[in-house]
Amino acid sequence: MVLEPKSVRREDNQMAETAEKRYILDAQAAAYVEDPLWRWRGLMRMARDLLRDKVALTGSVIVLVVLMSAVFASFISPHDPAAGNIGQRLQPPGFVNEEGERYILGTDQQGRDILSRLFHGARVSMAVGIGVIAVAGTVGTILGLVSGYYAGRVDDIIMRVVDTQTAFPGLLLALVIITMIGPSARNIIIVLSINGWMVFARITRGIMLTIREKDYIDAAKLVGVSDSGIIFRHAFPNLVSPTLTIITLELARVILAEASLSFLGLGIQPPQASWGLMIADGRNYITIAWWLVTFPGICIGVTVFGVMTVANWLRTVTDPEQRVRAAPAGTGSG
Amino acid sequence: MIAYFIRRLLQSILVIIGVSVIVFVITRAIGDPARMMLPLEASAEEVEAFRDRMGFNDPLWVQFWDWAKNAVKGDFGDSLWQRTDAMHLVLERMPATLLLCSTAIVLAVVASVPLGILAALKPRSWLDKATTSFSLIGVCIPDFWLGLMLILVFAVTLRVVFTSGYGTWRHLVLPAIALAARPWGRITQIVRTSMMDEMHRTYMVTARAKGLAEHNVILSHALKNASIPIVTLAAWELTRMLAGYTIVVETVFAWPGFGQLAMQAIERRDLTLIQADVFVVAIIVVVMNIFIDLIYAMLDPRVRLA
Amino acid sequence: MRTKLATLTTAVLLAALLITACGTPAAPPPPEPTTPPEATRPPEPAPAGPSGSIVFVIGSDPSTLDPQFPDDGNARPVNDNIYEMLLVRDGVTAELGPSLAKSWEQVDETTWRFELQEGVTFHNGEPFNADAVVYSVERMIDPEFNSEIISFVATISGAEAVDDYTVDIFTEGPDPILLARLTWLNMVPPVYTEENAENFGNEPVGTGPYKFVEWVKGDHVSLEANEDYWGGAPSIAEVTIRTIPEDATAAGALQAGEVDIVRHLIPEYLDQVPNAASVHGIEFPWVRINTNVEPLNDVRVRQALNYAIDVEALRDALYSGHAAVAEGQILTPSHFGYNPDVKAYPYDPDKARQLLQEAGAEGATLEFVGESGRWLKDKELVEAIATQLEAVGLNIEINIAEWSQWLDLLFAGAQAAPDLQYSSHDNSLFDADRSLSVMFTLEGSQAAYSNPEVDRLVSEARTETDVTAREDMYHQAVQMIYDDAACIFLLNLDDIYGLSERVEWTPRVDGRILVKDMTLVE
Repeated sequence: MVLEPKSVRREDNQMAETAEKRYILDAQAAAYVEDPLWRWRGLMRMARDLLRDKVALTGSVIVLVVLMSAVFASFISPHDPAAGNIGQRLQPPGFVNEEGERYILGTDQQGRDILSRLFHGARVSMAVGIGVIAVAGTVGTILGLVSGYYAGRVDDIIMRVVDTQTAFPGLLLALVIITMIGPSARNIIIVLSINGWMVFARITRGIMLTIREKDYIDAAKLVGVSDSGIIFRHAFPNLVSPTLTIITLELARVILAEASLSFLGLGIQPPQASWGLMIADGRNYITIAWWLVTFPGICIGVTVFGVMTVANWLRTVTDPEQRVRAAPAGTGSG
Repeated sequence: MIAYFIRRLLQSILVIIGVSVIVFVITRAIGDPARMMLPLEASAEEVEAFRDRMGFNDPLWVQFWDWAKNAVKGDFGDSLWQRTDAMHLVLERMPATLLLCSTAIVLAVVASVPLGILAALKPRSWLDKATTSFSLIGVCIPDFWLGLMLILVFAVTLRVVFTSGYGTWRHLVLPAIALAARPWGRITQIVRTSMMDEMHRTYMVTARAKGLAEHNVILSHALKNASIPIVTLAAWELTRMLAGYTIVVETVFAWPGFGQLAMQAIERRDLTLIQADVFVVAIIVVVMNIFIDLIYAMLDPRVRLA
Repeated sequence: MRTKLATLTTAVLLAALLITACGTPAAPPPPEPTTPPEATRPPEPAPAGPSGSIVFVIGSDPSTLDPQFPDDGNARPVNDNIYEMLLVRDGVTAELGPSLAKSWEQVDETTWRFELQEGVTFHNGEPFNADAVVYSVERMIDPEFNSEIISFVATISGAEAVDDYTVDIFTEGPDPILLARLTWLNMVPPVYTEENAENFGNEPVGTGPYKFVEWVKGDHVSLEANEDYWGGAPSIAEVTIRTIPEDATAAGALQAGEVDIVRHLIPEYLDQVPNAASVHGIEFPWVRINTNVEPLNDVRVRQALNYAIDVEALRDALYSGHAAVAEGQILTPSHFGYNPDVKAYPYDPDKARQLLQEAGAEGATLEFVGESGRWLKDKELVEAIATQLEAVGLNIEINIAEWSQWLDLLFAGAQAAPDLQYSSHDNSLFDADRSLSVMFTLEGSQAAYSNPEVDRLVSEARTETDVTAREDMYHQAVQMIYDDAACIFLLNLDDIYGLSERVEWTPRVDGRILVKDMTLVE
């Protein structure tokens, strides 16, 4: 949806109030200094809210568990996720081999432990997700900041690019590019970032357009703070909560997209394991060994569920009005 | 309004040119299809001769100019894989994909609106909770996984519908459901939240006070006002499907639409076919985007297209 | 041009229409039934003449149905029922036998004479005669035509009609395997082919037991029995060849009774599907070794690689036993040149470790390139081999390449070839020349090994017309390649077909699916 933003006019005719504004600015700064726990208090309030909202709490626990499994995959995996043994392939959950080793979720088509592969798959999914958010988020946010801060010609150009690219057939392009540069975790991050940066640019620009009207920005300008200084020191903190929502939504999108790419054979490649790849490799055994596709399928579904719940919750907490809107912008063209 | 349309049109052309250039550069600059088009035993000289004949040795801009000149006239070249007019191949597959996507979106809307309304009427009831959870599941579930499971349960085990193929409603129903899961979930959520908001507006109170029947109030007032985000989202989800998101479902269900064609073209590095496919998809997306704006403007008098 | 623009406009309009559809939710548009599902139709009682119908599955839409052009495993099963060649192999023994040619004789070193079947017509009524043979030969070998399967008939230099039903075919030099090559030369109708040059690949016309009906791109091709077939009308009336890209979906369709034949059935499904049949195939998965780089230039290391692989375990685990161990060569016993004295390297991990140690190659890191989705269980096989190689102390880096990258690497030449590369070879000419020259000679396009002695033997055998002498040369070459451990020898896979209960069929050794061989049982 591309609706023209209402043009934002600045009224710079109030030089006289400079002193007062500087005073306000100082007062705000002083508040920070006097109460160093200010930020923490906010977080604590959020934590209290979270404990009350059961759905959101479940979501956060899921996300936390997945993150922990990703980080500690090597420690908590009962087996080497890459060590195959074709003598014990396609064994059902609970299988115990001759050496007495237990395979809680069974083995896959190479005789590898599914549980261990799920842990390591979490690592790949999260790495790809965080990689995309890092790349797309950085690029998108910077362009959005620049666009919103300078407005005018720069804004026009950047927003045209955003509009143009939002109209691109995302998955199709991703597939074409991946085929050409070859499938790997790095290339998936590149391709999904190309599809994802616009969302960050849009939201950042929108916020920037509103806060550049705020008094303390004017004040900072007048006292000679550089453009980049203003953007990063003053505007940035305001971006944190809305961007957090976008980040979680993007994470959900990336997990699903990576799974789809892997399913089509253009995603993660062995010896790495990802949930999508596990489903892709196991799908031929769907009627023979249901556990091959079921567990990674559940992992993807539950993780995305958790991430989305957190996103929803963040959106309500940080901006009650956002909740109401139809926000296709939140998921981008990916 | 007219100025707006002219601008949108220009922008759309820009999008289409942009997409075409990008795909052209990516496919030509990075990949070389010559080796793939020839049999495994072809010698280096044969490959070189083939490249010459296909024009792969010309500078990129010359190649693009040649392509663009013909494309403007409607000639997108022959598919390297199926050896016939590429655009014809793509358009031949259009009806199947359009049928699948429209069925899926209709399914999604029909199944989501009543549920969303009921959930909104009784917030925090078990129905509301179930609706919210299931709609989230619809959004979270990977479509290929859902597709495989549907085949397993309804086609292989119960045999009430067909596993794959094209022709009757029994072929259509599983891929349509697999494709509809996500839009269904998202639309249900939107219906629920928008309806909840509308229910508390003052005009609702007025309408009730005037003694209008409750279902009348809900349907003629609240739903009408809530329809803006719902319709926008539905149209947006349809765009998304048409923009290539049918690829996975069409592959799983052997549905002969252009998503499957695109996948085959990509696998075979059929440059002309990829190009034609992306071109058509870009046009669809652009047209759909303009329509979404139009619908938005029509439904909400507050929005002015400027 | 105009029509293209028109279709384009229609497409855009269609998209526009859709929008209105979604604004006002309506009943789903009634799907146009293009074909009723064949499998659900009750079989008719079998009177005289063809009856009933059958559905078989291919993995992708055919590229074109011009039988002389594509190197396409999905077009072949369609065309094999529409078109015929001069000779055909026996389905059980792979012996060459008559088809459109009744008999043949060698006139001199480079000339062969064929007596043709009389009274055969193409589906459009064109007569099949010597002119049609000459036309078909010349069309296929025309460099302008640029056939993808030209290598199968590369030695043929021309043809000439002697009389209406006698034709001479010439080769450039003496060619001991000309007759085998002719099983790749489909006979096309001269007048129709010329007049419909544009559309020939979409509407095929042959002499075979089935006539083309329609091709719904991406969905199916349908054929009907040719009641006037010169070999007698086939017993099944209608054939539908459906495209199902997903193996899991195809197996599901077979289990659900929607289709009758699925090729390349995953062995695990053997006891899931209603019925199955398998036959020794000609597919050889193998691992190419780049013999020019450290440490693989040491024959001991290459032998160690062969000793390290437990081929029988691979066969039993991955293929449920439906494969034969490749006996130290990439040839089946039916191939000319198969050396019965050469046996597979046994599985002996201790010996492998010892050889690696002697060569100072323990712990060496080797890149192993594979691909995915082209052959039955290709990626799984690569991963399993890597595991076994790592078990003897090597360090294997798997690289599952995208298909075109994989191709580039396969043909990169001996210098740029990766250490190890998985590939699969099928020699459908049933003659050692094709396999040995491509894989193990200096000039071979896929070779990363060369031995001047092997080069000489293969090149001399190519024009040797004395059968015993020629066979002996191949025996020697096979032995040398084995001693050099020029590649990792793996398996010779069976062709496994999943069948419905209603089909009676014995699969052929040459992998062709001929519906005229099948009957329906009720």
